[in-house]
Amino acid sequence: MHPLLNLTQVTKSFGDLEVLREIDLEIRSGEVVGLVGSNGAGKTTLLRLMAGVYQPTQGTVLLADGKPVSQMRQALGVVPESTGLYSRLTAWENIRYHSRMHGVSDKDAWARTAKFAEHLGMVESLGRHTKGFSRGMRQKTALLRALAHGPSILLLDEPTAGLDITSARTVRKLVNQLKTEGGTVVYSTHQLSEAQQVCDRIVIVHNGEIRADGPPQELLENTGTDTLEEAYVSLTKDTARPRQEDDSKEGRFTGLWRSFFTPKPPKMPDRGESDE
Amino acid sequence: MSEVTMHRIKAIAKKEVVEFVRDWRTIMAIIVIPLLMFPLLFILFPVLLESEAAELDALELSIVIQSEEIDASLEQSIMDAGIAFVVEPLPNLTVLSDPGEDLDRVRNSSVDAILRIDKVNTTWNYAILHLSTSERSNEAWNRLIDALLLWESEEVERRIIDSGLDVNATLDPLRWDGDVAQSDVATSGEQAGMVLSLFIPLVLAIWTYSSALQPSIDMTAGERERGTLEALLCLPCTRLELLLGKWVAVATITGVGVILQIFGLLFAIGYLASSSVIGLPELSIVTVLLLIAAILLFAVMVVAVELALAMRSHSVKEAGSILAPMLLLIVFPALFTQVINLDGIESFWFAIPVVNILLALRELLLNRVITEHIVIWAGTSILYAALAAYYASRQFNREDIVTSLS
Repeated sequence: MHPLLNLTQVTKSFGDLEVLREIDLEIRSGEVVGLVGSNGAGKTTLLRLMAGVYQPTQGTVLLADGKPVSQMRQALGVVPESTGLYSRLTAWENIRYHSRMHGVSDKDAWARTAKFAEHLGMVESLGRHTKGFSRGMRQKTALLRALAHGPSILLLDEPTAGLDITSARTVRKLVNQLKTEGGTVVYSTHQLSEAQQVCDRIVIVHNGEIRADGPPQELLENTGTDTLEEAYVSLTKDTARPRQEDDSKEGRFTGLWRSFFTPKPPKMPDRGESDE
Repeated sequence: MSEVTMHRIKAIAKKEVVEFVRDWRTIMAIIVIPLLMFPLLFILFPVLLESEAAELDALELSIVIQSEEIDASLEQSIMDAGIAFVVEPLPNLTVLSDPGEDLDRVRNSSVDAILRIDKVNTTWNYAILHLSTSERSNEAWNRLIDALLLWESEEVERRIIDSGLDVNATLDPLRWDGDVAQSDVATSGEQAGMVLSLFIPLVLAIWTYSSALQPSIDMTAGERERGTLEALLCLPCTRLELLLGKWVAVATITGVGVILQIFGLLFAIGYLASSSVIGLPELSIVTVLLLIAAILLFAVMVVAVELALAMRSHSVKEAGSILAPMLLLIVFPALFTQVINLDGIESFWFAIPVVNILLALRELLLNRVITEHIVIWAGTSILYAALAAYYASRQFNREDIVTSLS
């Protein structure tokens, strides 16, 4: 398996907030890598760096040929957490719009879409406007959109979050199918069981750092635990920081103004009072 | 610009326009309503006013005249005005306008008005008690004033004759000889241009800004709020291509909206011209082309500023609260520009943002093509448009645009 994407000493800060610190990560061809961590751990920021949406504050994010990701986005297929579908366009129009931006002909995009749509049970829904789509259908459409141009690496940000059991299972089956076809997938999730089912390799991200990186069995051996959950707990004993990225974007005046009109919550009763 | 870049800009713009067209409410708000606004205002509104006036004319009004001695010719004038009346003695008041005990009668509309008239020596003092919030009472007041003025002019003429003077020579010693319109050497087209130059620049500026407002917000803050921007930023297109694609889409929508509005306005003016209310301006081809260029430059700047400010915003609500009050930055200079005298105007006015284009439109509608002014407003407008575009591109390059409130 040759490397496809290299993150070297990547640090990402927003103002004073250091969201990721000195990350070294290599994504190799044909593997499914699971990014596992709590909310606010830095998974989404890491995926956005891989997608070239964010530029690292320090370090480099380079493809195998040494080019920055931002210059070679054709190599990537991305499904953000929000799916990002246009509700006034049909599922196919959403897919076609992205594939056209990737420079792929409508004919080729349709051929790939039709192939994967069958697996996802989406053939009948391709001509429908996405406005009335369920979360599961939206997620499947976003997956089809990310695959239509034939990317080398698929980046999925919590693809099963909010999905019902059947839809989540369908998504996982598709990822497994891609794996058997030699596809490369980076899969962010906060469900360890899911990561264990789908991923060859698990990267545990906590408070902006990589705490562990390796196949599930290796993580168990290294931590001397019997389950991945125990391994995760032993690797992330320090308190998880709250998610703050959006707040850091707020202007100082805006924050001050809002706090001026925000009353403080009532005081917590001390233990003695509450016991009574 | 490479073929790939052109292809991407076209794809972005096309998708935005398709999405826009599929929302019938937005089409109604930006295209249909403005298209119909001027025909409705200039054609239907006068028709409505006429019918309302006819309704008022048909009203049979009843009033009370309070007087000790009323002139028969005045009574006739009031009857000719379609007012029925009864005569009562004058109440004992220090001034006639004091409602006194008649207050309730007028307020509860048991009479439409009360005319009090009293002869003191050789003059007549009068007052009309009426209720200004009642249509009937207002109409009675209007008809009474007309009747009184008519009677007054007859009385004046009678007194002049009684004094042995010539009525016309006494009342009208200074007279215009001939047709007033004939003596104005400006052509009817120039006169029409003058009239139009007083409101067309204002209307065009406001239209351009307000037409671009909704699509600008929807394509930037709206995308950010709906979470569609992140997927877009993962595509191979550059942020500049994204900006240009969205700019083309907003400019297209705004352009179509403004052109349709102009058609509506021209139709209304054409209708009014046929009824001799206003003429059509005489503009040369060069002037028309310069007018279009001025509007386009203004649109480039306005759309770029709106896109930039909307992109800075985290939500549609935030963008709306920033961009809507900014309309005042167009309205105030536009109103200010209307009072600037164009004869001998100093050239620096044509370098001030917004004011320069509004003055250019005014001058061009008067068919005045002054090279020095054109060079200044075109040059400065290109500069401002470029600065606005640069500012917009900086906003599109911000990393935080990927985050949404949702």
